[in-house]
Amino acid sequence: MHEFSIACEIFEQVMTTAKEHGATEVKHVTLQMGRLSHTNPEQLSFCFKVLSEESIAENADFIVEMIPPSLECECGYTGTVDEEKIRENCEFKSELLAYAAVMECPICGKPAQITGGRELIIKSIEIETEDQN
Amino acid sequence: MLMHVIDMGHDVYKANDKVAEKNKKKLDKYQVFSVNVMGAIGSGKTTLIEEVIRQLKDKYKIAVIAGDVIAEMDSSRFRKLDVPTIPVNTGKECHLDAKLVEKALDEIDLNNTDLLLIENVGNLICPVDFKLGEHLRVVIVSVTEGDDIILKHPMIFKTSDLAVINKVDIAHAVDVDAEKMRDDILSLNPNVPVILTSKHDWESLETWISFIELGVKESQNR
Ligand SMILES: [Zn+2]
Repeated sequence: MHEFSIACEIFEQVMTTAKEHGATEVKHVTLQMGRLSHTNPEQLSFCFKVLSEESIAENADFIVEMIPPSLECECGYTGTVDEEKIRENCEFKSELLAYAAVMECPICGKPAQITGGRELIIKSIEIETEDQN
Repeated sequence: MLMHVIDMGHDVYKANDKVAEKNKKKLDKYQVFSVNVMGAIGSGKTTLIEEVIRQLKDKYKIAVIAGDVIAEMDSSRFRKLDVPTIPVNTGKECHLDAKLVEKALDEIDLNNTDLLLIENVGNLICPVDFKLGEHLRVVIVSVTEGDDIILKHPMIFKTSDLAVINKVDIAHAVDVDAEKMRDDILSLNPNVPVILTSKHDWESLETWISFIELGVKESQNR
């Protein structure tokens, strides 16, 4: 599991940005996580909580938006994986295994290039600052 | 009190990729061919790397980065073969990352290196997300891991440049079909070369070693 080192990186980046903007408190941290990245949102959130204790981000809400995988095929197809469809067809498979199966091009059936879904982005933070007046 | 939303758009993995790019440029400058060897504990990474060292160390200058969670077991095995070895202890971490490799590169005499072998930490999941700056990504899987191991870990097979199925001599004993494993790998990544190896079969090891040697020759001609 590499959630702890990732959480450290996120915490550092968040604190640096927050301080640059004169924050007194960090209210929200919004993350975008690709479904194909090997990171677990709950564990990441837990690690962040532990790291941010007694900091201005201590009470921050940790929001994770999941990004579905996107594909590109040599036949010209580009698109994102339809998550709803996977869930109904592949109840018995683990989520990742299901994704592997649909990483084939829906048009020609060849294995497609993965063009998205592996990212881990600190999208934005919401902070509180002292009123200047 | 004032509330502000600040856009950051900082991609944690891309930040690692940037350091990896820097590592690769440095290695290119010195014409060093680098190999990231990934695979589970017990898949035979160390043994297959040792064999490369034994067969190629008189022809080429070899250095090793040995990633390990805590111990220095593997690095001492490489040192016994008289090649410069940098142990990288990752502590709690489950993978090498580009920053750790960047640091290790400072300790290697790149002017005197043709081939850099990097043994990653043993698992099929975490190393996938972290590029190191390597020229060749190799995944080693052994038949003892069972024939469903590949479809359970699709991303490492999708993202590798070479796949090795090891210990095929005991496939029958563990009731695993190595050919099915090969087919599974190819179903995920149709263009990836797959090599079947066993430490008791010299011909199979030769295929593995010549694959690495080809890369070394290519980077020297660059
Ligand atoms: Zn297609």
